[in-house]
Amino acid sequence: MEAMAENKPSVGLVFFPAFDWAISPTHPERQERLLYTRDQIQEEGLFDHPAIKEFRPRLAEDEEILRTHIFVPSLAKHVTESHRIAAGGTILAADLVVDGLVGRSFALLRPPGHHANRVVHGSRGFCTINNEAIMVDHLRHRLGPDLKVAIVDTDAHHGDGTQDIFYNDPGVLHISLHQDGRTLYPGTGFLSERGGPAAYGQTVNIPLPPGTGDEGMLMAMERVVLPILQDWQPDYIVNAAGQDNHYSDPLTNMNFSAQGYARLTELLAPDIVVLEGGYSIESALPYVNLGLLLALAGLDYSKVQEPTWQRQTVSQSASLTAQVAQICAEVLSLWERRSEADLEEIFGRQDFFERRRHIHYDTDNIYEQQQEYIRLCPSCAGWRVIYTVSNVYPTPSAAVLIPWHVCPQCLKEGESHYQRERENTEFGLVIWHDPRTDSCKV
Amino acid sequence: MYIIGIDVGGTNTDAALIKGDEVVAMAKTPTRHADLFASTSTALEEVLRHCQGQEPLRLHLSTTLSTNLIVEGKGVPTVVVAIPGPGVNLASYQFPFPLIELDGYIDHRGREVSPLDAGEIEELKARIPKDCRALAVVGKFSHRNPSHEQQVATALSQWFSGVISCGHRLAGRANFPRRIVTAYLNSSVAKQQLEFTVMWRRLREQLPVPLEEIVILKADGGTMTLADSEERPVETILSGPAASIMGVQALTSCAKPNYVIVDIGGTTTDLAAVVEGKVLFARDGATIAGNKTLVPALLTRSVGLGGDSELNYDRERGTFHIGPQRAGTPVCLGGEKLTPTDAAVALGMAEIGEKERAVNAWHIWAEGLGLTWQELAQKVIDAFTAQLAEAIEDLYSGLENVPLYTVSEILMPPKVRPEAVVGLGAPAEVFIPRLGGILGLEWEIVPFAAGANAVGAAAARTTLSLTLHADTELGIVTIPELGVREKLASPISFDLHQARQMAEEKLRELAVQAGYSSEQEVYIVEEESFPLVRGFRTVGRIHMIRTQLRPGVRRIRGGGNG
Repeated sequence: MEAMAENKPSVGLVFFPAFDWAISPTHPERQERLLYTRDQIQEEGLFDHPAIKEFRPRLAEDEEILRTHIFVPSLAKHVTESHRIAAGGTILAADLVVDGLVGRSFALLRPPGHHANRVVHGSRGFCTINNEAIMVDHLRHRLGPDLKVAIVDTDAHHGDGTQDIFYNDPGVLHISLHQDGRTLYPGTGFLSERGGPAAYGQTVNIPLPPGTGDEGMLMAMERVVLPILQDWQPDYIVNAAGQDNHYSDPLTNMNFSAQGYARLTELLAPDIVVLEGGYSIESALPYVNLGLLLALAGLDYSKVQEPTWQRQTVSQSASLTAQVAQICAEVLSLWERRSEADLEEIFGRQDFFERRRHIHYDTDNIYEQQQEYIRLCPSCAGWRVIYTVSNVYPTPSAAVLIPWHVCPQCLKEGESHYQRERENTEFGLVIWHDPRTDSCKV
Repeated sequence: MYIIGIDVGGTNTDAALIKGDEVVAMAKTPTRHADLFASTSTALEEVLRHCQGQEPLRLHLSTTLSTNLIVEGKGVPTVVVAIPGPGVNLASYQFPFPLIELDGYIDHRGREVSPLDAGEIEELKARIPKDCRALAVVGKFSHRNPSHEQQVATALSQWFSGVISCGHRLAGRANFPRRIVTAYLNSSVAKQQLEFTVMWRRLREQLPVPLEEIVILKADGGTMTLADSEERPVETILSGPAASIMGVQALTSCAKPNYVIVDIGGTTTDLAAVVEGKVLFARDGATIAGNKTLVPALLTRSVGLGGDSELNYDRERGTFHIGPQRAGTPVCLGGEKLTPTDAAVALGMAEIGEKERAVNAWHIWAEGLGLTWQELAQKVIDAFTAQLAEAIEDLYSGLENVPLYTVSEILMPPKVRPEAVVGLGAPAEVFIPRLGGILGLEWEIVPFAAGANAVGAAAARTTLSLTLHADTELGIVTIPELGVREKLASPISFDLHQARQMAEEKLRELAVQAGYSSEQEVYIVEEESFPLVRGFRTVGRIHMIRTQLRPGVRRIRGGGNG
């Protein structure tokens, strides 16, 4: 743990409970969500603990959001001020660490973001824009495209949005631990989802059976997540810290406790933590956030306990433990043998790899259809084009995406494809997306 | 009616006699720490001579009694009985006083999760050391449910004869470690505060003029009765700096809503911020000698920069850095080392002591550096002003970073930046106009700068506040400062409007009961109201209201020493 003797605070806390914002009056994403967390942290005196310094979030700029996302029909149509504050606060949390003002940081804010995909037609899984992804692209914009960032998503729901954004990105390792997609929204996050041709194996999914408690979760951390991180050697570790694995969460079926979250945080030692889901606002969040914050600051969390905690509630059966051990072994083996994979077998021998998807936006009830072509390039991650259409925006749109490390050939091909699609009258929008130059034009 | 304000400071005791909006007389006498009562009486008697007729008189006292006891660690031996429940390990706070932990658990909504252990309470008699003279009882979330503190205190009072302070009575706001420190300090100084009030009550009988009332200054710049100061002596800490700030507010003719107060002394400069006509408060409470408390206090920032500060010259850069150490007496007054005061005196900006001595000393120093002495002295004036400007920038950039928790506040953050500089203190004449110049702000130097603290004490008004927390799902209303936790008569219809009304009524009752005049307006400082949703259904609301008597100062005319 970080030495307390250091002059700077151990943890920068960007706390933004958005006390005046809700998706709708009785929605889980409502004003009250972080009220009891605020009460607990305040009463424990942590806002004024010398190891913790609180910061006010800022608003994310258009260009920072557009560096990551493609909006149909426009940014203004979807992005509200609250989204900008959550994304801006997450960027600030990362900057605090990069600038050396704090040892680590915690963006304890809402609304969340990890279900937001690259292309945005609306809100899904309570998310509109992806706070972590915007932050990671900000870091690369600031520090250069060679930066290696690992995102460990510990929300009970699969971090499908973040996975989507980085699935062909060699600079990002995305590990998601979640309740098995066969039993929970969004129904994805299986071992077979391993990333695109340029980043194969860097999408790591650890689906856990319903009922997994501290023991199973920490087993996955120790046996899989930590060895993979050790192996990949990221420059920064980001924790997408959903808190809905908690035994009291109303939307999931997991058995994690505040002690487990604190221990997980201690093991992972993330540089930047970003709150995601977690809707047991009274029985879990105050204690989980307290434990997490203490662990992050290197303070004693041994006495943190939920009022409803009982040993039998959070214990898991031997058979479940064996099941988790089996999954861990499989995931680790996939990681270790990732370079042996025959990419031509998986992605074909054509010039392009094609992917077709149907995406449901549960929050806004939108159905999107996507068709994507990735240029299989030996020198870079390859330019790609996404064609997208939804029931709300039925005129198809096209987006040409340039990777951070684009080769001259791909840049040229991408440009000419963009020009060609612009002349095609069938498209409502033709978008050029190049994060290197911030030229994300429509 | 006459009001006498007395500020017992570390060096001097200042007194001011005001009548209506005029200063009638002022006095200054050295503080005698061995016999505070004597030096305070001297100052009092000096201004009393100017009272005419049999007009009633009020005395506003700002004392350093509690402050000194705390700073010097001379309070009585005090033990804290804490009921922490789960959470942060109490041992990790490393409190510098003995603390006994009891079982029992109250959650964030004031629900009892686990009760006190009667056996443990019984054992306290054996566990509390014999030399312990005062106790403090503090529970986590006691501001949401004071019953555990009340039960323990009641049990202790059966056999313990010293003072017992309960956390909930002292602070209605969250922050368990600060509440512990506040209650501890309160208990440790209560005995001496009582002796002090007894003494003043006796003196009151002996005065030649009828003394209608004696009130005590607090860290928030307001006043409290003698009786209240016996209950909550900790609130009297740091009343001296607060008195100066109140003095500026009473005396300034600045019409801008936002201004910065710059009090330049010999060793330090103290800054305070006025926003929309109100002086800002410390976010959580006063910090005294490293002890973080929940005592409401004006926000002050002390910088090691004053007329007697040390000068550090960087030969390579050719620039000065001033302070934070003190150089000692300026050369113009017979000292050894040159100071900012000497720069001002030599350059003819101020008339203190012997100008020639200062000029000679500058001359010798400048020669060695190949500069004219005027250039060198001017560099000091410029560096001093620049450092002041930097300290002000630092204060305001901190204020602009105060966390905000709603979208609307983030979009429209409160405007805190100053539009004027209001200065006081001996070196103010030299530096405030220059400071105003480089900040591009209007400036003013308040009259009676030397005794603004005493004027502030005299001009201060009563402050009193309370916190109401209503949880309509549980059907409970809590007012910690009154020790109240009771059922709401009709929780379903208890809305924000009713919560406000109840908070205001209770405060008015409290004010009357405590013997305060009812002329001051009650207003809401802070409020929150959240709908509670369980299973997609609204099941109630939480309202939190903080009300207080509108603080403020009597305006005092600045012109001519009446």
